[in-house]
Amino acid sequence: MSNFNDIGNLMYLYLDEIDPCEGTDAPAFLIKATAHLLNQKGGQNSVPIIVKEVGEDKYELIGNSFIYAVAEEAGLERVWCIVTDGKDDTVEVTQVLAGEKLPKINLSKASRDEIAAALEYLIEQPNSILKTVKLAIATNRIDEAPRQYWKTFEPITNLKCGITKGKKLDALKQVFYLTPQPMPDTITDANILKTMSTTDLKAMAKKRGITGISKMTKDALIEALSR
Amino acid sequence: MTAISLRSALKGLPETAQEPIVDLHFSNQLLEALGFQPEEIHPQYATGDRMVVDKAARKTIGSDIFLHTKSNPYLLVELKGRDINLSEGSAQYQKTVDQLKGYLLDSKCKSAQWGIITNSCHIQLFRKHGKVIYPATKCLSLNLDNIDEIIADIRKKIEAPTKALTVAIYNNKGGVGKTTTTVNLAAILTFLGKKVLAIDFDPNQQDLTSSLGIPLNQGDVSEALDERGDLLKALHSYSFPLKKLNSELRFDVIPADQKLADVDDSELRHRFTRSRLYKRLETARQKYDYILIDAPPNWRLISQMAVYAADVVLIPTKHNSLFSLENAATVMKKFIPEVQSKKANGSPIPLPIFFNGERITEPQLDVARKEIDNILKTAKKEGFTLWPYFYPKSKNAQKNPHIHQVPSYANIASAAFSRVPAVYRDRSAHEYYKDLAKEYFLP
Repeated sequence: MSNFNDIGNLMYLYLDEIDPCEGTDAPAFLIKATAHLLNQKGGQNSVPIIVKEVGEDKYELIGNSFIYAVAEEAGLERVWCIVTDGKDDTVEVTQVLAGEKLPKINLSKASRDEIAAALEYLIEQPNSILKTVKLAIATNRIDEAPRQYWKTFEPITNLKCGITKGKKLDALKQVFYLTPQPMPDTITDANILKTMSTTDLKAMAKKRGITGISKMTKDALIEALSR
Repeated sequence: MTAISLRSALKGLPETAQEPIVDLHFSNQLLEALGFQPEEIHPQYATGDRMVVDKAARKTIGSDIFLHTKSNPYLLVELKGRDINLSEGSAQYQKTVDQLKGYLLDSKCKSAQWGIITNSCHIQLFRKHGKVIYPATKCLSLNLDNIDEIIADIRKKIEAPTKALTVAIYNNKGGVGKTTTTVNLAAILTFLGKKVLAIDFDPNQQDLTSSLGIPLNQGDVSEALDERGDLLKALHSYSFPLKKLNSELRFDVIPADQKLADVDDSELRHRFTRSRLYKRLETARQKYDYILIDAPPNWRLISQMAVYAADVVLIPTKHNSLFSLENAATVMKKFIPEVQSKKANGSPIPLPIFFNGERITEPQLDVARKEIDNILKTAKKEGFTLWPYFYPKSKNAQKNPHIHQVPSYANIASAAFSRVPAVYRDRSAHEYYKDLAKEYFLP
């Protein structure tokens, strides 16, 4: 990159040169009242809007959309902006830093403390769908499960920690993502085997050349595989 | 010979030596005096993904040389310059201790058992047991006359670490669930594969002993404390059969001693000193992973002996009992410092409080937090920083009012009648105490 660009600059841009994209869903009262205050106090947005350059004198908003909405409401012609490089990573970090998007943690590798903190956050949201979930129990069960192999969040519904399929499970997707390891062919740890579905166990038993699979119960499968 | 070179290293340091100078002229001699060869020391060791500690060290095991493999550090050292004031209680001291704790708990340091902070004027050794970090020496002032002795003492400690973490469960307010906590913590730690000794040190109530349905001691504890006996002869083992697996869960208990019940405090003071229990647990400390002492409420000799014997003090409280919160603060401000001043190694330290008891609603929690905020404000005026023990998840610019909770309910209370710890009978109790054990103790 040459020095011939505005990346990292604080610039006083014309509002109509910035495309607000999705905009904000902040309550109208907050926007109107803040706009009123801003007008009374000099009309300078001391917290900048974050944008990326998309063409000659053309910008796109990537963070602090609330401030854009306030500036628009206040009838400001120009606003203070920080121009970023607009890469996907930058956009993501900006939106998370601006509090407009939730950060996600990797459930495949997260520590127990990280899981507990994320669950606590979800449970304590106002009107949380997860408010009946017991934090201690859910943390223990999820932490101890073989989550490094999970390809989806579905196995959580089998942990009997009050998180059922549907809205509750979907709520977890706001804060967690997965980068699963490939499942090894030979798991012999009964505790891990116990958490797998019977179908998966049968597939594994077949690979291992165990016979009489179709008649075996889950317990029998676990016993055969853990040998 | 090494000791001499450490002394001369200290002697040669300029009075205003900053960190690079201390590093160059003092740190290697220090580690050598602690028994580490050059290939057993790694400078600027990455403790995890982000942080780097000044020195890490481990003895060579077979062909596994620490400098090459960088695996399983044993000791971490955080160096400072002489321009940083490391005397206990200073802001920079606290910051450095927090820094060291961060390193010790980082992802690549699971094996680390010891941490040292030093700026060549002061030195302090910390022990890590599971997740718990507590002082193993006071913050000592170094000079040419005492350095050899201090370093030899530290070396002795890190070469023969104590196996057990000793925990006193104490609050001078009664009825906060000390016994329930002790029994269930002992039971769950046993379930998780640890070797546990639970001591019923409340001879008047004897609740722990009776809740497990085991006989009281008839003088064995009092004798062992009186004479130079070993407390382990007062031992009784509790076992819970696992019929399905054809095995059992077993932990050891020292039941309450009938002979110590209703003995006047002044008589006890004639017979025992505060340090007596600590001394009599010497063999036990090498035998168990955890020693849990159920102490009586109040601050009489028996409780003092229990707290003196401990590395850390776990203080149960109740959210709806203001006294239990105020008393927790008193334990931290008054009782524990009192014991620390009498004990040579800087312990015990308090663990963060937790709420034991009925389910807490949001408004109740708000009331409790307001009370705690008042307690913290008062403590601050008196010169104590207590928030880390009430709000352990808070940081400078981050107010996190999280307090750990162990809800109790009918099943936990009624477990005492069946003479079985609740965690072995009830799934929820099992999960809640496992959560407590993992939050406070296990890595």
